[in-house]
Amino acid sequence: MRPGAKRTGFSARRSTLAALRLSVLQFMADPQWLVPSMIAPVIFGIVSFELFRGAGRYYLTYAILGAGMMSMWGQTLYGSGWATGQDRNFGTLEPTIQAPTPYVYVVLGRVLWNVVSGLLGGLIVFGVVVAFAGSPPTVPNPLLFAVLFVFVLLTLAAVGVVFAAFYVYTRYAGFIQNIGEFAFYVGTGCMFPIVLLPFWSNPASLLFPPTWALDALRFEAIPGYAGLSWGFGWDLLGAVATTAIYLAIAGAVFHRVERHVLETGHLSEY
Amino acid sequence: MTENGTRASFLRTFWTNAVFAPRTSLGFMRIDFVLGTVFVVPLTQMAFFALVDQLGGMTNQIAFTAIGNAVATVTYSSVFSVCQTTDHEKEYGTMEHLLVSPANRAALYVGRGLIPILISLATVTVGLVYAALFFGAVIPPAHLLAVAASVTLTAFAMVGFGLLLGGVALYLRTSIILGNIFLFVGLLLSGVNFPVSALPVPLQVLGEAIPLTWGLAAIRSAITGGVTPALWWLWAAVAVAAAISFAAALGLWKVFERRALATGSIARF
Repeated sequence: MRPGAKRTGFSARRSTLAALRLSVLQFMADPQWLVPSMIAPVIFGIVSFELFRGAGRYYLTYAILGAGMMSMWGQTLYGSGWATGQDRNFGTLEPTIQAPTPYVYVVLGRVLWNVVSGLLGGLIVFGVVVAFAGSPPTVPNPLLFAVLFVFVLLTLAAVGVVFAAFYVYTRYAGFIQNIGEFAFYVGTGCMFPIVLLPFWSNPASLLFPPTWALDALRFEAIPGYAGLSWGFGWDLLGAVATTAIYLAIAGAVFHRVERHVLETGHLSEY
Repeated sequence: MTENGTRASFLRTFWTNAVFAPRTSLGFMRIDFVLGTVFVVPLTQMAFFALVDQLGGMTNQIAFTAIGNAVATVTYSSVFSVCQTTDHEKEYGTMEHLLVSPANRAALYVGRGLIPILISLATVTVGLVYAALFFGAVIPPAHLLAVAASVTLTAFAMVGFGLLLGGVALYLRTSIILGNIFLFVGLLLSGVNFPVSALPVPLQVLGEAIPLTWGLAAIRSAITGGVTPALWWLWAAVAVAAAISFAAALGLWKVFERRALATGSIARF
């Protein structure tokens, strides 16, 4: 296709649904892949619970939220990033990129499934840590908590889509994620409020939508929570705004990456 | 095999694997990979648990946690990478060729462990430097030799443990679950974040089966007391764990190889 020419002959809805369906089928064929992304969060949740033991009744919520978020990060972000890496390994990246369907819809279908499986993983981690702790966390408003929990997942998915766009260019997606895993956990404050981090690092943390969403979730779930000074409402607004920005960036990056790849024939130095 | 048809020498097989494996089956393809593992992972993992301590109000625990996590990061290069070598051989289609080659197996597997041992040493060393610089850990200069000896022994033992897991993974469809379990289970069972004595007895027993538990105990003992009779016992324990791991790894590989050669089948990726 000529670079810049308008694409025809595809349906965004059908492409997304097809990618979603394929992701579901692949997961059903080998659901054990949910396990690796849950091992670390379960262990981290239990270790954190042990470290928090005796610190107060709401610290169980910190441990569970942190572990749940780590699991969702594993499934959502890793899943999205790995998908591009696997396309590269299997030799399907080039045909997928040159197909009439824009790659963003293929990734979108995968991300949608990763959101669902991420939620499933998060719930399993939640169950394991609660079983270890012996009692569920005290949450003032369970319904709002559940809605915000899903919202946190969507903010993670937004980060996942941006990462997936950049991963088209590199064969080292898995490595980057492994190296950056703890940095992301620390930077977004998945187990603790980012106010505990040095002040100079806060602006970098606020570049990520999950930082805002998690802070909002903790404001709702933990009475007396000492998070970011502007409080729940602004956290929520910040999360929505940064998520929207991420999605816009992802769309632009995907468009540009595809054009560049088609112009230069360069996907990565494999 | 060499040109005249004789078996490649032990040293040649050892060295070839030591040089090639990091770029192929071990996955250390570029120097920035290694630098990331050595310099970034320990700092971020230590910071994570130090901040968890801080949130829980246990600021007096931070140095303990930092040292534990500095040592625990050894698992990335020694256990996770080494364990996955089997997966990569299967994925790249080289496992069958490896199994029918006449190369000395001890040289082959131990050779693969050389670079991971060096990277493990570097990772723990950098982690301990971070612990002293940023997390308030005190490592007396007089105890540095004892600490270095403990770290070296631990690196050997952990790579042996990684090879053992790789042997188990030979007969699994994938080693990724096994690798992930042993990458992180030490954080819970090996006294990394809290003393092993805080665990229920069955979990303490499980922890004692992991070389990291003994290695970490030796490093903590070396830091606090230098060379003491207790440290000698811990060194002996780490050495025994290393010997058992390497021997069991070679034994397992032999068993599974025989089985693969006898049946013509092996679990494929």
